[in-house]
Order: sequence, then C-alpha cells, then structure tokens
Amino acid sequence: MATNVSSVYIHVVDDVISKVRDEFINYGAGESVLNELQALWEMKMMQCGAISGNIERPPLQKNGVPTPVHDLNVPYEGPAEEYETPTAEMLFPPTPLQTPIQTPLPGTADTGMYNIPTGPSDYAPSPISELRNSIDLKSGRPSPYMQPPSPWMNQRPLGVDVNVAYVEGREEADRGSSHQPLTQDFFVNPSGKRKRDDYASQLNSGGYIPQQDGSGDMTIEFSLPQNVVGQDQKSPQGSGSSKFPLNKEAKQHPVLPQYDGVHDEYDDVFNKLFMNSKLNLPIFLFLSHSRHYFFLKIFQFQGGVTNEDYNTPGDHVELRAATPSVGTPKPGKNEVAEDDEPPLNEDDDDDEDLDDLDQGEDEPNTQHLVLALFDKVTRTKSRWKCTLKDGIMHLNNRDILFNKATGEFEF
Amino acid sequence: MATFELYRRSAIGMCLTESLDEMVSSGTLSPELAIQVLMQFDKSMTDALETQVKSKVTIKGHLHTYRFCDNVWTFILQDATFKSDECHEQVKRVKIVACDSNLLTQ
Repeated sequence: MATNVSSVYIHVVDDVISKVRDEFINYGAGESVLNELQALWEMKMMQCGAISGNIERPPLQKNGVPTPVHDLNVPYEGPAEEYETPTAEMLFPPTPLQTPIQTPLPGTADTGMYNIPTGPSDYAPSPISELRNSIDLKSGRPSPYMQPPSPWMNQRPLGVDVNVAYVEGREEADRGSSHQPLTQDFFVNPSGKRKRDDYASQLNSGGYIPQQDGSGDMTIEFSLPQNVVGQDQKSPQGSGSSKFPLNKEAKQHPVLPQYDGVHDEYDDVFNKLFMNSKLNLPIFLFLSHSRHYFFLKIFQFQGGVTNEDYNTPGDHVELRAATPSVGTPKPGKNEVAEDDEPPLNEDDDDDEDLDDLDQGEDEPNTQHLVLALFDKVTRTKSRWKCTLKDGIMHLNNRDILFNKATGEFEF
Repeated sequence: MATFELYRRSAIGMCLTESLDEMVSSGTLSPELAIQVLMQFDKSMTDALETQVKSKVTIKGHLHTYRFCDNVWTFILQDATFKSDECHEQVKRVKIVACDSNLLTQ
C-alpha cells in the first residue's frame, strides 16, 4: 500500500492548484484567492472525511504550497492558538498616551485627562480575556458556515478597530472579522420584513403587532375619522366586532368568496364594512393567514364617494389578487384564501429516485457510488461482465480508489 | 481536450464544487475561472487515478438495473460485494456509473 487515498487526494489538490495558478494570475485574481480556494477545499474535505487530519505533504518539491495551508492539517487547537496570539497587549498596544506629558499646569484637569486614555488599558485585559476564553471554547470547532480560521483572517489589523468593537461588547472584535461583509450578511434581515413591521407600526398606533405566523386570527381595526392615519394617540381596538357604528345589516352577502372556511365572523364583519358606503371612516384591515401571507388595505370613504386609496405596502406583500374593486361596496376577492386551495400536489414527485423506488433504508447521503471508466461490458443471457478502470468508490462512508475492476453481475 | 466530468461527483469533486460555488457567490472568484479549475480538476483526477493507484477490485452482485445512454453505463446493483487487497465491502445497493475509456484517448 504505497499510497493511500488521502495522499492521492492531496496530490490531486496540489496538482490542480499549481496548474491553475497561472490562470489565476493571468486573470488577475491573484494568489490570495487561490490560497483561499485551496484552504476551503481542504477544509471541506477534512470535514467530510475524505482526507484525514494529519497529512504529510511533500512540501518542498512542489513549489507554491503556501505554509499557511499547513495549519489546516493541524488539529483544531491550531486555529484556537492563532486566536490566542493576539493578546491584550497586542489589542491594546501600549499607547504613548500612557506616558503622562509633563505640563506646567498643576494637575487636576490634566491628570484627569491623562487618566482617560489609560483607562481602557486598565480594564481591558480582564474583559478581553474573558471574551477570549469564551471564544476559545467556541473556536475550537469552527462551524462550517463560518469563515474558516485561515491565516488571512488573522492578519487583519488589530488596532483601533477592536476598541470600537469592544465598546459594543461584541465578540467579533476578537475574531477580527467584524469587517468581513460575509459574516455581516448573516445577520441582515431581509428588508422586506422590516418594512412591513415598520409600516404596520406606523399605521397602527398602540403597539399592534401584525401577525405573520398565520394562526388565522383576524383583527379588524377602525379608527375614527378625526384620527388621521398614523397618529399615535389612538389605541386601536384589537378585535373587530361591534365597535363601529355600522348598521348591522342582515346577512346580505355580497359575494365574498371565502375559501379557507375558518373565519366565520369574517363574513359578517366584512359585509358590514362594505355594505354601508356612507361610512366616513378610514378603515384598516389586517388579515393574517395561515399561509404566512398578510396584506394591508386601507379604505377611505369620504362622504358618499368612495375614494379607493390602496396603500398596499407594495412589493413585499404578496397579494393574492389585485383586487381593484375592494374599495367598493361590492367586495372583490380580497381574500387570501386562494393560496390555500387547491393544493397543486407539486411535491408529490420530489426526490424520487427514478431509477429505484425502494431506496428504503439507505439515506441519500450514504448512497454507495462507483465512478469509473469502462473498457468492456458484455452479457451472456442474464450474466453480465464488465471491466472497469480508474475508479473512485464510495462505499460505507469510505473512499476507495482502484486502477482496475472486474464485475460479474447476475440480472 | 475533452474531460470527463464524472469525478466531480466524488467526495473530492463535490468539495471542490462547493468551495468554488461559495467563492463565486461571494464574488471572490469569477465563474470563468471556476470552470477552468473544474476542468483542471478533471484532468488531474484522471491522471492521478491512472498513475498513482495500483489496486484491483472485483465486484459481484445482483444487477437490478442497467442503462446505456450517451456512452455511459449505469448499473444499479443489489447485495454487492467489493473485494480487493485492501478492502472487503458489502453493500445493499450501489450505483455504478462508467464512462467509455476509449473516448478519452481520441
């Protein structure tokens, strides 16, 4: 067993990287990108077990194997140690301000001033070390989605920025990754949601929280005409029932096709809303639906004229229908019930192995696979024979390489 | 020179593909370069398998499905046994994908 699988893989990695180096340089991407690729690739391979952790490369023969890559082959204490190296002294370098400047003035105010710069360095070590200890525990196993603890991250300047981050009390300061946009991306909420919340909060005084999780509650709120939209004074009534001076007309249902069938009171209330066009009310209607859609409509009736003012929040709200006729007494399809039915059965055929339906006990990720080239495939009655070569086998979570293989199968 | 993209489905190939995808998504790498890397990987992997590996394996099992399409054989075996000097594996179900080796030397 001259070469085992890991060493072959490492050889392949090195070979690929060295041969694309010129391409990278010609393209202008640079060595750093190439190193990043190599580091990422090897890290993933270690994570999935394709290569073992301790690999001895023949480093000097192959030019261009950067030494930082060796760190990935070291057990996980390596990166943790790298985190430890920026000590508090490095983070908070002894500033020249620590040395008091001699002034002719007697010192009350000046000494006060001098105390301030030295302040951070006084209390810095302990909190920083606390943070660092916690980070060490965590960074022992860098999560896959985090940026890999590769050397280029630790080369970031650790000076002034850390102070700022420390004031915020965040751990990112110590990782030195606070400026990496990738990590920031993880924490950014889609703006659509914020808009929705903000918008709703503006409209809805009194802290009404629009319900987006779809328990199917329906709340209808009404504000009296003297309260303009967006005023904070009025506290909206939560549930829409008989809080508005409407003529309670009998159930003269204009066609409100309600497909979800849950909210019985919805019909009544809604009918009452729109049957009376003499309402001089701006009406806020909030619906939350079981399918995580909700929409906001504002109907403004002035005098006898129905001003259809559709301030639907726009793009990030998924309206079931355009519903231009909602403002009229004849309600259109302002229901979101349609997205509930009919089920399109789109998912019925997902993930069916078309080859073999009874995949049964084997999960897809442990599917055994052989990738090879064939020289010959023959069949005699129901007896098949084949000769394969240059193959990679993934069996029982293990990778095996072969140069030649012969197969005999019974059909 | 055409390459077999076959080996991209292996563990090492998938790791590379994922890494490239991440870098292209983040804008660190251009898609053209990523494709160049993958093509180089195909060649390097083929070369490595030819030159660095010297083991022989025998396969036996029940052939459940066979398919030959676009010069690619796909077999699905059940209750298969793989034997070599180094290993002795038994699996309930395995898929074998094999490309024509003659195409490589055209």
